[in-house]
Amino acid sequence: MPRPRELLAIPARRSTWRRYAYHVIGAALVAPYVTLTGFVALALQGGAGVVAAWTIAIAACCLVAPIATGMLAPVRMLEIAAARLLLGVEVDDADLIRDAASWSTRWRSAAWFVAHVAVGGVIGTLTVILPPVVVSACSAPFATGDVQLGRLDATVPGGPESAWLVPLALLSPAALVYLAVGVGALLARVAPRLLGPSPAEQLGAAQRRADRLAERNRLARELHDSVGHALSIVTVQAGAAGRVLDSDLAFARQALSDIETSARNGLRDLDHVLGLLRDDTAARAPTPTLADLQRLVASTRSAGIDVTAELTGRIDEVPQAVSREAYRIVQESLTNAARHAGDVPVSLTLNVGVEHLELKLTNPLDASRTQRGGGGRGLNGIQERVASLRGQLTAGPDAGEWRIAVRLPLHPTP
Amino acid sequence: MNLGIVLVDDEPLIRSGLRAIINAEPDLSVLGEADDGAGVTAMVRRLRPDVVLMDVRMPVVDGIEATRRLLANLDEPPRVLVLTTFENDDYVFDALRAGASGFLLKRARPDEVVRAIRLLAAGDSLLFPAAIRALAARRAPATPTASGLDSAGLTDREAEILRLIAQGRSNAEISAQLIVSAETVKTHVAHVLAKLDARDRTQAVIRAYDSGFIAPRDPHPDGG
Repeated sequence: MPRPRELLAIPARRSTWRRYAYHVIGAALVAPYVTLTGFVALALQGGAGVVAAWTIAIAACCLVAPIATGMLAPVRMLEIAAARLLLGVEVDDADLIRDAASWSTRWRSAAWFVAHVAVGGVIGTLTVILPPVVVSACSAPFATGDVQLGRLDATVPGGPESAWLVPLALLSPAALVYLAVGVGALLARVAPRLLGPSPAEQLGAAQRRADRLAERNRLARELHDSVGHALSIVTVQAGAAGRVLDSDLAFARQALSDIETSARNGLRDLDHVLGLLRDDTAARAPTPTLADLQRLVASTRSAGIDVTAELTGRIDEVPQAVSREAYRIVQESLTNAARHAGDVPVSLTLNVGVEHLELKLTNPLDASRTQRGGGGRGLNGIQERVASLRGQLTAGPDAGEWRIAVRLPLHPTP
Repeated sequence: MNLGIVLVDDEPLIRSGLRAIINAEPDLSVLGEADDGAGVTAMVRRLRPDVVLMDVRMPVVDGIEATRRLLANLDEPPRVLVLTTFENDDYVFDALRAGASGFLLKRARPDEVVRAIRLLAAGDSLLFPAAIRALAARRAPATPTASGLDSAGLTDREAEILRLIAQGRSNAEISAQLIVSAETVKTHVAHVLAKLDARDRTQAVIRAYDSGFIAPRDPHPDGG
């Protein structure tokens, strides 16, 4: 159970209003189905009776139609995106797009869509009805004669005996907010089951991952063998040449030439296999670079994280390899900040100098939250990228801030 | 004592390099070369080398199979020193199981190469005990049976000496540690090898690891 203090803080949280927004979207989705129901019912009224017409219309338009909508793949993708962004749930849809969705997946996403619309309809209706009710309930003690509660078909007597209504009326909007948050939490809990991949899809994705890994392993082994072979020759020949240098100059000369050839062959193999590994990742998706940084910042902002970004220097002139890695580093840093620091402003500065690219990302440390290490997974990834470019990384708390500073050389050192 | 050597490796540049290193030593000479394991037995029968340097990964007949054939077909087979590019190569342990007496990394320094050949020919201490132990640990069952060599019927003293051999101790070192004469150690070692049906120390140690008599994953200090 959450502590009272946390309960009180709920209306002030950003996530609360994101959840509310999610319900409002659900409410907006109700409208077309309701309208459709009206049209269909009116059209049917001539032939069948009124009751029959409305029953058929409601069944067709408020049940069958939303279920059919929910089965559409684009709707599913939109729902996954909305659930991620507004409910803050992790839905694993890796590689889903490749597979035609199975019927079980379609039914699950239909169930989710119906739930979203239904919950949105209820919360949206309450949101519209409640304000006039509150106003009229608060005015009741001062009125003479019966007072209608908003546009509801209910009245209360005017005068001081209705004073008890006032605190109730004033508290009701807060109750609605808690209801929205509670239902949102419930939705967030079932989201992975309804929107996530089915076991078969997970299996397919795992299979593809395994294939990819096997291929990479094969390339790594190939590299290991060919470069190991070349270096063995270099070592043995160099050792031999050193031994016989004084006695057999012709051998030493031949050895040098063989060493040169072997080393060159080894480097060629290295180049080739590393090229394959690079292409392997490149072929999967266009790898973003610093040119896409503004978009990354914008999407982070729209996810509710307050990012200020200051980008200086000739970002478009950064070498591709550095640019790609720098983008990933920023992306992982922002993810880490959002995951571990919560709703705090993040400041990003990136400067491209003559020799180096420097980027810094800071966010205030929230004293009430412990900085969860999470095994340093995010930081490990950053560390690997920085190391691969022979850059420098410092990360850690600094004067009340969490701070990541990265310095990458723009050109490989000879 | 002059030692004759046969080189078996599919890479001519490895052979020519090793030949130059070996022939630079006054007491070592390369008698012949082969580029795969198929003709090794016949060549050894003809040239009678003391040591065969055998690449483990070769086309057609690899070093493991060639070692097996050598030991099966010759009455007095030479010692086999397996050559490998990578230390953590399962093939190396398989070659040791097949009867090779030791292994050598191709990246070894020239003086290590000649030292390994001499040590192997003398046969009185184990080459790279720590590395053999590491290889054994990769392959050993997680829970070895404690009494794997019971059927061999080693005496307590012989068991103790087998453990010291596995640590890479030479006869002289064992006699100093146990305070017994060099002759006594020699007799004990001979008994250990006979009871384990092992042709040399390496084979005895491999059997000790394989049977679980010594657990290669146990932390205890290595002599070499």
